[in-house]
Amino acid sequence: MNPAAAQLVSFLRAALRGISASPLTSGIAIATIGVTLVLLGAFALLVANMERMLDDVGDALHVTAFLEDGLDADVHRELAATAATVEGVESVRVVSKEEALERFRSGVGRGAALLEGLSENPLPASLEIQLAAGYRSASGLARVSGSLDGLPGISDLTSGQDWVEGYLRAIALVRGVGWGLAIILALATLLIVANTIRLAVLSRRDELEILALVGASRAYVGTPFLIEGLIQGAVGGVLALGVLYAVFRLVVPGFEFGLELVLGGVAPRFFTGSEAMALLAAGSGLGLFGAAAALASESRP
Amino acid sequence: MTPGANRFSGRRGPREIAGIGRKAAVQLYHVSKSYTAGHYALRDVSLEFGRGEFVFLTGPSGAGKTSLLKLIFAAERPSEGQIVVLGRNAPRLGPAATPPLRRRIGVVFQDFKLLPRRTVEENVAVALEVLGAPRRETRAKVFAILKQLGLQHRRFHHPLSLSGGEQQRVAIARALVNEPEILLADEPTGNLDPELTLEIMDLIAQTATRGTTVIVATHDYGVVNRYAKRCVRLDGGRVVEDAPAHGTGP
Repeated sequence: MNPAAAQLVSFLRAALRGISASPLTSGIAIATIGVTLVLLGAFALLVANMERMLDDVGDALHVTAFLEDGLDADVHRELAATAATVEGVESVRVVSKEEALERFRSGVGRGAALLEGLSENPLPASLEIQLAAGYRSASGLARVSGSLDGLPGISDLTSGQDWVEGYLRAIALVRGVGWGLAIILALATLLIVANTIRLAVLSRRDELEILALVGASRAYVGTPFLIEGLIQGAVGGVLALGVLYAVFRLVVPGFEFGLELVLGGVAPRFFTGSEAMALLAAGSGLGLFGAAAALASESRP
Repeated sequence: MTPGANRFSGRRGPREIAGIGRKAAVQLYHVSKSYTAGHYALRDVSLEFGRGEFVFLTGPSGAGKTSLLKLIFAAERPSEGQIVVLGRNAPRLGPAATPPLRRRIGVVFQDFKLLPRRTVEENVAVALEVLGAPRRETRAKVFAILKQLGLQHRRFHHPLSLSGGEQQRVAIARALVNEPEILLADEPTGNLDPELTLEIMDLIAQTATRGTTVIVATHDYGVVNRYAKRCVRLDGGRVVEDAPAHGTGP
């Protein structure tokens, strides 16, 4: 084994010896990192799934332009042709008053009997306008609606714009709350990990004194503690991933209705490999920075 | 091999003072050390210890013996004066330069200062591990020094399972395994019975014959008289006597 690898093994052994020497404090640090990452991961999963639902919904977004009464089918076709020239419009389909009534009738099912008493069809004819690929978003909807608004023969316009904007605000809120919590929890975790490592430093003061006596450099003394923090963070990350996966597999199916409200028809997904690695890296980073902070405060005169 | 000649001992760096320390291992110029205002542990001490010299520091408790040793291995800085150790201005060394100097100095304490959770072999090896010495070379050197001190059969034991004399021999092995240029011993026999005291002191005295500067702090005048070496007596932080070596001690 080359000297650098032997040194690394020696540091690793010292770090593991440190963890096994104080299992309770190490356990508390690992659990704290784990809890932080579970909460952080849960928010990340929710945001990722909500964004995915928005992508899915985007394909179904369209604008409905209701036409004024009294226009004949030729005018409807002319209006459809005009609408089709608007930038961002992919296709336009005319829905006649009769088709609208038929759709309504099939949509309400047994309630259709109520329509029997109507002397005339109250539903307007409309244009169903599909959006081009680059316009299937809240801003795309707004731009196309703006272009169509005011065209002669169109009495009203509806689109999913309000819903999409509301949903985007909800995602932003969840993301904001997630980030806020993550920052607060990360700071609290850093403090706890730093104190854990400080306790470890203090409990091994005699050992460190002897190492200094025989000429150990600061790096030689400090590296095992940094590795200790790194290991605690990584183990906390693995635990958090395990808990999140267990919750995802066991608990999520029991909340299908609630999830459908938030995610629509999109099936919830777990982290991808790179996202899971990012969570592990976040845990390791917390452990490493906590240990570095502890060493910095301990070496201060 | 001469002391300090192995390739892992600290190299002489830019803080080496030209012309100083060629013959002397340690030089103190008007050194004072005060821990609290107005109270001096050492006061205006000027001494020189040559290379390969064996010196006793004696005096009652609180005379300043331990403070003097701490200044030499750069665990403390003097309040006044200058200290040159192995040609380096010890008080002016920064955090990065202090460890290399310490690697050229072996230290033995009254309370042994061994790592209780590590074996005898690991305790001795730590002095070489901090230098980044290869594992195979470390093991060979550790085995050789333990054999020399009659501890090879104890190398896998933990310090607390050893007798006081054995523990002190382990501490001496750790101090010597790196072939230091200076060996400092602070009351090395303070916790030992008379028979073990002679055994340990003989081991320490042997290292001086190999060219290592040996400075032993003790208040045991029986030991001092037996070895008939140079004796610096401290009292109240001042040097009150500096008697040269006389006769031929063991």
